[in-house]
Amino acid sequence: MIEVEALTKRYGSTTAVDGLTFTARPGTVTGFLGPNGAGKSTTMRVVVGLERPTSGTARVAGRRYADLPAPLHAVGVMLDARSVHPGRTAYKHLLAMAQTHGIGRARVREVIAQTGLEPAAHRRAGAFSLGMGQRLGIAGALLGDPATLILDEPVNGLDPDGVLWVRRLVRDLAAEGRTVLLSSHLMHELALCADRVVIIGRGRLLADASVQEVVDRSERAGTVRVRTTDPEPLARELLAAGAQVTPQEGGTLHVRGVSVDEVGTAARRCGATVLELGTESGSLEEAYLQLTGDAVEYRTADAAGGAR
Amino acid sequence: MSAATATPQTARATTARSGPTFGRVVAAEWTKLVSLRSPWWTAAVTVAVAGVITYLSAQASSGDPGFQPVGSLSTGLALAQIGPLVLGVLVGAGEFRTGASRTTFTLVPRRWPVLVAQVLAMAAFALVTAVLATAASVLGILPAAASRGIAVDLTSGDTPGLVLGMVLFLVVLALLGLALGALLRRTVPALVTALLVVLILPIVLMTAGDPLVGGADPPSIGLPDADPATTVLGTLAVLSPGGAAQLMTTSASAGPMPGSPDLGPVGGGLVLAAWVLVVLVAAAVRLRARDVR
Repeated sequence: MIEVEALTKRYGSTTAVDGLTFTARPGTVTGFLGPNGAGKSTTMRVVVGLERPTSGTARVAGRRYADLPAPLHAVGVMLDARSVHPGRTAYKHLLAMAQTHGIGRARVREVIAQTGLEPAAHRRAGAFSLGMGQRLGIAGALLGDPATLILDEPVNGLDPDGVLWVRRLVRDLAAEGRTVLLSSHLMHELALCADRVVIIGRGRLLADASVQEVVDRSERAGTVRVRTTDPEPLARELLAAGAQVTPQEGGTLHVRGVSVDEVGTAARRCGATVLELGTESGSLEEAYLQLTGDAVEYRTADAAGGAR
Repeated sequence: MSAATATPQTARATTARSGPTFGRVVAAEWTKLVSLRSPWWTAAVTVAVAGVITYLSAQASSGDPGFQPVGSLSTGLALAQIGPLVLGVLVGAGEFRTGASRTTFTLVPRRWPVLVAQVLAMAAFALVTAVLATAASVLGILPAAASRGIAVDLTSGDTPGLVLGMVLFLVVLALLGLALGALLRRTVPALVTALLVVLILPIVLMTAGDPLVGGADPPSIGLPDADPATTVLGTLAVLSPGGAAQLMTTSASAGPMPGSPDLGPVGGGLVLAAWVLVVLVAAAVRLRARDVR
């Protein structure tokens, strides 16, 4: 369980995180989304105690991170693939991590095997590809068998095999009742593996909802798509019924404001031959762009307000 | 049956789930130190330089009529001291420079035990290096001593103290480097600062404070046997980290440097240790108060 409450972090005059509140619950994969510089990494660093919040609180398993008696067992953290000394081998890096909590070498070898790092275990981390670095970061996060995992961009730089593996891994971890918070800029990745998404822009919360709820908020969601041999009479018929109609190429109409049943009935009324009829579903990516687009507009308005 | 399988798991969960004790942090820092390459090559270079420079210096002075082999014993350290200093800086700043600090301090959120553990690990590693470098220095004076037929006796007079001073000198310099690296967090500024306070500052102060350059009363210049007057700059020179460190590699009976109070090797060691402590405390305060990026 991760509880972030009214969290604000300022660096001088720059506000990186601005009154952010959200909760990541056990048994759930919570996706953490936002454009670059939105404050995702800053939030994660505050949660794990590397940075002190200007105001507000962040708690893991009901405590401040710094008050956890055994942090490695409570929270698995992968902040950045470059949180490793490049001169140290993967095995020694993980061994030193394990030693701080009295974890044995057997467990170190176990996570190396689990993350597919065996061939590179005795190579220095500085020579790792981005994907290998990610696997090492994930290995470190799994080391203490923690109930909560915080993963910053875990699929970044992984090959398709690796992406699939991470997706399955986080699903399995959540299925075991663990809390998983992962950030990503790959929206479709989150759509495939997250239960909930927390979307932030400029350090502020834009959405905190289930993936389905966010998808349903996208403008395209609920649009009826109809392809017909006679688009014009059908469009007239639908407009008369109070729908908004947007003609598309190839005799396709996008209809909003009426149900798919009503579109079918309208087609029969005006004698239009229906070739294809269905509802469009929104995408997380679209919803995200609309949400963060608003954040960008807000910034412009804000700047104008400031100049006044 | 299910109860039998569940019990060991529960037991494992409760016994194995303790956090970072100080001993564990020390073990981890030791693993971190010796798993890097830089400690090994700086140690090798330090030992080699100590032996070679001491050998060359002893050979060069072996022609002097009053040649004392033990007098050349610490000459190699003038250059070899850079090794432990650089090692300390690389390890102290490397933690932050590479981002490894993010891993370290999420594991040990109290942070300061890490710094203390790093000091202990570095002290142990530097101690072995220092013993080997001192042994290499002893080997370095043997050919010159043999060529003059002088027996080298390390057990008499000031010599045991000198040998001990040489060992501690190298260890404390490694700790000074570590402390500066941990405080400044970046390799180049820490290295420049370390070289400045250890090598350059004492020379500048000593030169500026020399009675001949213009410090003390004129009458004392002509009387080298008289009690040399201490000057402000001379005092500052021996109180600087480098000046104090140099005292550790001199014999107790060698007397003070010109214009300086006679602190002796023990006094020099204490002054240097105080410097290390001050920088370490500053690093610990910064560690506690500031964010780790």
